[in-house]
Amino acid sequence: MFFHLLLADLKMIARNRQALFWALAFPLIFVVVFGLFDLDRPRTIRIAVVDQAQDKISKGLILGLAQIELVHVVTSLPEAEARRALLNGGLGFVLIIPPDLTARAQQGAEPVPLTLLHSQSQPEVSHQFSGVIRQFVDSANLELNNAKPRLAMNLEGVESQDITYFDGVLPGLVGMGIMTFSVIGMGSVIAVYRENRIFKRLLTTPLRVSLFFAAQITARLLLSLVQALIIFAAGIFLFDAHVYGSLLWALVLVLPANIIFLNLGFLVGAFAKNVEAAASLGNLMTVPMMFFSGVFFPTDSLPKALAWVVGYLPLSPLLDAMRGVLLESQPLWEFPGELAILGAWVVVSSVLAVRFFRFE
Amino acid sequence: MPMEKVIQVENLVRRYGSLVAVNGVSFEVDRGEVFGILGPNGAGKTTILETIEGLQRPTSGRTLVLGMETYKEPLKVKARIGVQLQASAYFDYLTLTEILELFGRLYPQRIPARHLLEQTGLAEKANATVSKLSGGQKQRFTIAAALVNDPEVVFLDEPTTGLDPQARRQLWEFIQQIHREGRTVILTTHFMEEAELLCQRVAILDKGKIVALDTPAHLVRNLPAPYEIKLLAEGPLPAHELEALDGVVATYKGEDGFHFLKCTDTSQTLPALLRWAESRSVRFQQLQVVPATLEDVFLTLTGNQLRD
Repeated sequence: MFFHLLLADLKMIARNRQALFWALAFPLIFVVVFGLFDLDRPRTIRIAVVDQAQDKISKGLILGLAQIELVHVVTSLPEAEARRALLNGGLGFVLIIPPDLTARAQQGAEPVPLTLLHSQSQPEVSHQFSGVIRQFVDSANLELNNAKPRLAMNLEGVESQDITYFDGVLPGLVGMGIMTFSVIGMGSVIAVYRENRIFKRLLTTPLRVSLFFAAQITARLLLSLVQALIIFAAGIFLFDAHVYGSLLWALVLVLPANIIFLNLGFLVGAFAKNVEAAASLGNLMTVPMMFFSGVFFPTDSLPKALAWVVGYLPLSPLLDAMRGVLLESQPLWEFPGELAILGAWVVVSSVLAVRFFRFE
Repeated sequence: MPMEKVIQVENLVRRYGSLVAVNGVSFEVDRGEVFGILGPNGAGKTTILETIEGLQRPTSGRTLVLGMETYKEPLKVKARIGVQLQASAYFDYLTLTEILELFGRLYPQRIPARHLLEQTGLAEKANATVSKLSGGQKQRFTIAAALVNDPEVVFLDEPTTGLDPQARRQLWEFIQQIHREGRTVILTTHFMEEAELLCQRVAILDKGKIVALDTPAHLVRNLPAPYEIKLLAEGPLPAHELEALDGVVATYKGEDGFHFLKCTDTSQTLPALLRWAESRSVRFQQLQVVPATLEDVFLTLTGNQLRD
């Protein structure tokens, strides 16, 4: 009997297009959007050089600048136009090289000033880039003084794990997907069954109520695993998301989390008068979690008190633990705090769901 | 041989807070009977039915189905009864066949879905969903679903409410067919003609109490005035003279100039009426004898119309 109920539940979920949209298309749209926007790529720096010297050193300087990655050098602008472009954001920097640079430098009476104009709207970029120019100026000075460099720096890259913003968002989208599907989906089903008196009709049969719910919950747990796999697969195969740890741990995490969300769905169904109300109530519950529990933005950017509260919402420990096992390759037991919060939610939400559930 | 009692209701009381929905109801239903519970909305019909079915618990008193007390052995009772609820729907995303098969799985014994659909004239809709059915088809399907476990007792709660006359007639035939299959049927209704046509016995319920219980024919015959004579004459008729005729209980004037004589016995009143007409040279354009209905029974017993 359990098997037939389960089969019927799976059929009904598969045929309910609207529920499927929430289950799959909604998180997949996010996967595609975040996959397409490369949010980790550094922005190109545009610099105009007003070369009033047009001699050996100034040309060497421009050539050197042009070789730096992500720096785009413009030499065609007169000073006034370059300054205007800097003001309206078209350029990041303007470097002004005074006339007769080589001659005055070789004369060596006093240092020839190079002027770097920078926009103050991006202080970090300005700071970094002015360092690059300063370094360039220093080495030019050394060379002009025929001084030999005494110190050298070897830059050695260490192979580190490349974790992009998208890698972090993907587990967030999986969590969001199972949350919305379970809370709103389960809530709507409960509301419809009550509204249409399907529960009452079932109560006229010898079916044991516990068996009915066992089938419902099993069907939805199975579906949440499939849903998580599809979202992970889309991220990994379509947009090269990195997964360093075990996907299996992530799927193990999905189960208790989904039990919590299904319980919240039962509660939504218990308090909503009809399907429409269930959908709104479900959204009211899931949308704040979607934004605050760190699906898209890390929670440590939040004000401290708020971050503390948000940490105890059911979605937060799920995402923290899931990112931990996937991106830091940790085993699941390295997250006892997160597991404890999830466990507490499983117990509390089950008690509340049983307490407030009603057939009529 | 005494008839087997399929349903026994003993001193059933059901209170919701201070509201008394059912106030001491007792009756029995024999095997193979079609038993009707008649009454206006809010009389307690559905509460009685749902208590017998095991959906509601009695405040006091008890109900037995096939000798088993519903409240004590609900699952055993539920396995052997079929229930059609008032205004209940079925799953949106399953076909008729799938719904019947799923419900069948909930019982130890079952009738094949195809057979039930053929019986209800829904074979063509076997792979459609409930949303694709007309009102009458939906109601037939609901009753088909109540038969899925081959039940000995079938409960129908206002099966024809909201149906057009043609769909209602089709459903009546279907209910009679269920009866011919040897099942006991207990139904609630507020349509008098439905009860008269389908039920061997009816209980008339008013404000949570049974005010009469008998065959429809007996109930009508026991009225103080089981007949009515409907008259149309060329001129006005003197009401006090009509009232004085043999066997006339009361008279009243209807629309379009009709006069009505409520009478105990037409075999006395008709000859007296004709003699009176001859002596007064009154000519009748129309003369009709109309037997009273359960509607009149209800009106007489409760002073209320059955439908508002």
